[in-house]
Amino acid sequence: MKRVALILAGLLALVVILAGVVYVAFTGPGDIPPASRDLANLSREDRAQMEEAGEYVARAGDCVACHKSPDGLALAGGTAMETPVGSIFGSNITPSRDHGIADYSADDLYRAMVYGITPDGGHLYPAMPYTSYHAISRADSDALWVWLMAQDPIERPNRPAELIFPFNLRPLVAFWNLIFRSDPPDQPVAGLTGADTGNDPVARGRYLVEVLGHCGECHTPRNLAYARKPDAHLQGTVIEDALAPDITPGALARRGWNAADLEDFLAEGLSPQGVMTFRMFPVLSHSTKYLSPEDVSAVAAYLTEGAPAPAPPAPNDGALTDNAPGHALYLGLCAGCHGAEGQGQPFGSVPLRGNTSAMFDDPLNLVRIIREGIPARHLTGYQRMQEMPAFADRLNDDELAALVNYLRQRWGGHDRALSEEDVAGASG
Amino acid sequence: MSDRMISVTMRINGEKTGPVDLPEDLMLLEYLHEYLNLTGTRYGCGQGVCRACAVIHDGAAGAEPIPACITGVAWANGRSFRTVEGHATRDDDGNVTQLTSVQQAFLDHFSFQCSYCTSGFVAAATALVERLEAAPIAPEDVEDVVLDALNENICRCTGYVRYLEATRDVILNTPGLTRAAVTEENPS
Repeated sequence: MKRVALILAGLLALVVILAGVVYVAFTGPGDIPPASRDLANLSREDRAQMEEAGEYVARAGDCVACHKSPDGLALAGGTAMETPVGSIFGSNITPSRDHGIADYSADDLYRAMVYGITPDGGHLYPAMPYTSYHAISRADSDALWVWLMAQDPIERPNRPAELIFPFNLRPLVAFWNLIFRSDPPDQPVAGLTGADTGNDPVARGRYLVEVLGHCGECHTPRNLAYARKPDAHLQGTVIEDALAPDITPGALARRGWNAADLEDFLAEGLSPQGVMTFRMFPVLSHSTKYLSPEDVSAVAAYLTEGAPAPAPPAPNDGALTDNAPGHALYLGLCAGCHGAEGQGQPFGSVPLRGNTSAMFDDPLNLVRIIREGIPARHLTGYQRMQEMPAFADRLNDDELAALVNYLRQRWGGHDRALSEEDVAGASG
Repeated sequence: MSDRMISVTMRINGEKTGPVDLPEDLMLLEYLHEYLNLTGTRYGCGQGVCRACAVIHDGAAGAEPIPACITGVAWANGRSFRTVEGHATRDDDGNVTQLTSVQQAFLDHFSFQCSYCTSGFVAAATALVERLEAAPIAPEDVEDVVLDALNENICRCTGYVRYLEATRDVILNTPGLTRAAVTEENPS
């Protein structure tokens, strides 16, 4: 017995030593290329130009979405990201000496963005999307650094992550990186700024989607280790209690999207398929509405590359009689704004004929929107949508199921009715 | 307007209306205006946002203001509603003999000018008063509860304050709508 314990202890010690060796030898940051230019000796004009470029990189990378404070201060940190193992809070990335990143060099920022490693060797959680930012060009990272350092410092302490054991042990992230961070980056590195940006819109779109936009962080399903599944890239998943839908070219075409629709959706938050909702609305507010028309087109071109012609399901008016309770509820509670034929109203409510949420297999978003409503949205320019009321108090489970099934059957291309349990139980 | 018709029955101000065949996508407000000649409920934004069209739905959960402009007769069918015409007490000839305390308070406080929003405010404030009859609140909470209940009603003339003050006065001066404040001597 004693001998078995000794052997086990020895094995454990061996594992710990091996892990230590692996940690020290293999889990540090990879190569850090030299700075794109002499950042210590920028002329006034060059600095101004880099700040402008850096702001655009920050917009395209949507830093603010996670790094703003809950009370709305850009970059001050504190926005919660909910994961299955606890909450992580965006950090203060203003140039505050006590709480922010004032001491970061341009190399330090690159190391954090690309490898998820802080100047003192600490590991960021992959909630910071460094596995996406992994292929950021050095010129873009440098421009971002110049812009970040030109912002006002905000003296707000960081809020520590609240994760359950063993996920609260940051050094373990090193081993996660060993498996899931592909070094060197396997994505094209032509950036937005600098000399090597290239002219291929699809390549630029790919960089904007895969690297800076980090779309896959929400739209790609994750494995048990919470790493994105490489074989299910952008195929959609439930995250933070909402479905981030499948945005592969084929799936978009099946739901009726073409490149022009995507351009409208990204630039204005609205397209014939619907309006930005849940965590996609902040993406519009902080990021996609600031992209240049050329870049919006590039993103749309990349997301629809090789897609077949859009072929959305045809409206099925059989639902009017097949699901009479759902039809009555639709007329009584929805048609006043969305129209008896699902045509919607400009500046008021989206059309439901062709609505993308009715087409998802998962009813989650539809159920949540009906139950919770949507706040009034100031989208971009003059474009806005009125508040949608919450109907949780008006509909029992039976009625909710009838209404959800009606929308799915009439405009979503679904034949089969979901059960009351499937609908009422839909949640993240 | 749909050419599909449905047979509709509902109670309006305590009176049974119907059965009547109506276009299936008719809104409750249109039914009140065009079929019953009850024109005191107003059409404002047509999107359920301004609440000029609010009427009281007397449902299982008690009195609740709902926007009549976006609520279809398909849902209203079989239910019971009160419009601004139904609040005051009337004599046998239909003349108003006694306003409700909410209506009187809105007059006393000069709460409105053009009155376009008034029937909606009467509905919201009346529903609130009736809810408090069942579940009184502490006096110190009245201000917040009134603001919350009337917050969705839009007025373009007077700046809301007199509507809020009038409703607050009704609640504080009507026995049974508030309960004693929670103190150490008087725990709830």
